[in-house]
Amino acid sequence: MDFLLDQKHEMARSLFREFAEKEVKPLAIDTDETETFPRETVNKMAKAGFLGIPVPKELGGQGCDPLTYVMCVEELAKCCGTTSVIVSAHTSLCIDPILTYGTQEQKEKYIPDLASGRKLGAFGLTEPGAGTDAQGVQTKAVLSEDGKYWTLNGSKCFITNGKEADVYIIIAYTDVVEDKKGRKQKKFTAFIVDKDTEGFTFGTKEHKMGIRGSATYELIFQDCKVPAENQLGARGKGFPIAMHTLDGGRIGIAAQALGLAEGALDRTIEYVKERKQFGRSIAMFQNTQFQLANLATEIDAAKLLVYRAAEAKRTQDRYSVEAAKAKLFAAETAMDVTTKCVQLLGGYGYIREYEVERMMRDAKITEIYEGTSEVQRMVISGDLLK
Amino acid sequence: MSLEEYKGVFIFAQQVDNEISNIALELLGKAKDLAKDLDEKKVTAVLLGDKVGNLVDKLAEYGADRVIVVDDPELKDYRTEPYTHALASVINEYKPEILLVGATAIGRDLGPRVSSRVHTGLTADCTQLEIGDFPLTVAPGQEQLHQQLLMTRPAFGGNTIATIACPNFRPQMATVRPGVMQKIAPIAGAKAEVVDYNPGFKANNCYTEILKIVKEVSTAANIQDAKILVSGGRGVGSAENFKLLDELAEVLHGTVSCSRAVVDSGWKPKELQVGQTGQTVRPQVYFAIGISGAIQHVAGMEESDIIIAINKDENAPIFDVADYGVVGDLNKIVPELTKQLKAAIAAKAE
Repeated sequence: MDFLLDQKHEMARSLFREFAEKEVKPLAIDTDETETFPRETVNKMAKAGFLGIPVPKELGGQGCDPLTYVMCVEELAKCCGTTSVIVSAHTSLCIDPILTYGTQEQKEKYIPDLASGRKLGAFGLTEPGAGTDAQGVQTKAVLSEDGKYWTLNGSKCFITNGKEADVYIIIAYTDVVEDKKGRKQKKFTAFIVDKDTEGFTFGTKEHKMGIRGSATYELIFQDCKVPAENQLGARGKGFPIAMHTLDGGRIGIAAQALGLAEGALDRTIEYVKERKQFGRSIAMFQNTQFQLANLATEIDAAKLLVYRAAEAKRTQDRYSVEAAKAKLFAAETAMDVTTKCVQLLGGYGYIREYEVERMMRDAKITEIYEGTSEVQRMVISGDLLK
Repeated sequence: MSLEEYKGVFIFAQQVDNEISNIALELLGKAKDLAKDLDEKKVTAVLLGDKVGNLVDKLAEYGADRVIVVDDPELKDYRTEPYTHALASVINEYKPEILLVGATAIGRDLGPRVSSRVHTGLTADCTQLEIGDFPLTVAPGQEQLHQQLLMTRPAFGGNTIATIACPNFRPQMATVRPGVMQKIAPIAGAKAEVVDYNPGFKANNCYTEILKIVKEVSTAANIQDAKILVSGGRGVGSAENFKLLDELAEVLHGTVSCSRAVVDSGWKPKELQVGQTGQTVRPQVYFAIGISGAIQHVAGMEESDIIIAINKDENAPIFDVADYGVVGDLNKIVPELTKQLKAAIAAKAE
């Protein structure tokens, strides 16, 4: 058991922190206020190599482990929830499945551009009628008679990095099979779809409570022709691919939640030392002290779960349960910590300029996306009771 | 004064701006049926207004055997008090057994006033009228009355149907929902007996003074009030292509509405959006054209009486809530539907 980070990881962390403080923090308020996608920051992150951290060097990435990537998301989230989720969706939900399931050709075609940040990635699974119940996907893909291309019809909603991304992983149903009891079951397949593919357009941009600069769009497929060589993994194996991809994505979101909680606590500690009431700083009051103690302890517990999940991704084939526990606990910690931090700042906590209210708004989504907290509990209890 | 003295079926012939309202012709059609069941020879229309003699022939063509005309400058525009005075005076003078009034804004105002003034019962907004026995099942010691007007109307927002009679007072009065009763085919050249009657008008403090009558042309239709909605989704393809839906709506006297995708594409204004973040609608007929039927949309329209879906994808969830569905290309189906409806409606009108 070793709970200390080695020098390599410590160095990486200070690099991420410096970047976040210098490049991300100054724009965070404006990004939230105007709901604009921080394209400039994404370009800077691409230059700094943040968009290909866990990608092997021979494919143009940084060749680091999942823990390093997790720390990057965490440090970005301390300053700006929007920026952190851009990196997380791109890396965990688009690069990772191509790395894990792609053919050599697919990897060589897509990964270098994605890892270098020349292209941005996204992942399309959710539909209006298929959220937690992902089996309800209605988007359909039909193989042409000559077997050269697939035709996609349907739509996806709430897609992070939508319209801004160049490469999309899309899950569609391709077959209907009957099980032993004669019940019809859909079989899904994953596809890599380029932004400029004919018949692929973007619908509504969602206006959200938090992570307001993150581009959340509807994707529309109308007779969209995808070349057969863009099928990702085996036909009919799309569902396990999506689920395994989400296991990794959950570690990224857990890291985002952790960063939001840490960022809110850091600001609150600064504030309570400066703020005076009844002739002394409010840090002198025992309520403040005990609250901070609770929050710091919760954050540490979340952190160990998140880092353990990142390590499990490095060392194990399956890490669903570790990822689910990390995301569940970190997301609920983020919600609890940010809410209490707003309280500790009093009236100022409710003012946008003081930033903790934004972190509270940003925190709520971590309990919902990439599997709600309830889904994480299903995963964990399913493992306990198997 | 005994009930037997009251004879005959009367209708209030609403006119506005010297034009007979459609409802008056529908009431005449129904009144003829009721008169036949009562072995009555005549149907009487009561026409109130200022210089409205020219409207008598039209009432005759649609089945009025007699028209009682109260012609007075006080009756130029509808006002509660002079119209009530005129109609109540006609009742007291001619003693009808049945008086039907259209359940229009005017009729709903006039009916209750008149019924109170002549002290009789009124059933509002009827959808069915027939002559029958009252009560239907007789309790011991109770007398069953025959040839009563049985007035049926939806109550409690349409959740129950009530049949009401008015056994002890006359006339039996009902306001009747427009569009429910059938006009007869007009008999060209028919003439009615015309009776001029004027009770005399003395202005009192109930006489309102009309300052201005405004005729508003509503631009954005209120989709919540529409009886028939022709709703389009992304499948319609473009703002221009909505003309197919406009044409269908026009034939059915319906209103065009849409899904959120259409609003987001900028094809239609937000006021026309049906669904969780739009309006909730309950029309009698809802056409879902090129709408996939996500729950976010369905939540806003599943209470419609009849849902008709047209979609090229047979697996679209809209078919789970549709009463009738067509799988196919809306660009072919909708124009054909419009054409056939047009023909059917024209045939019915003949």
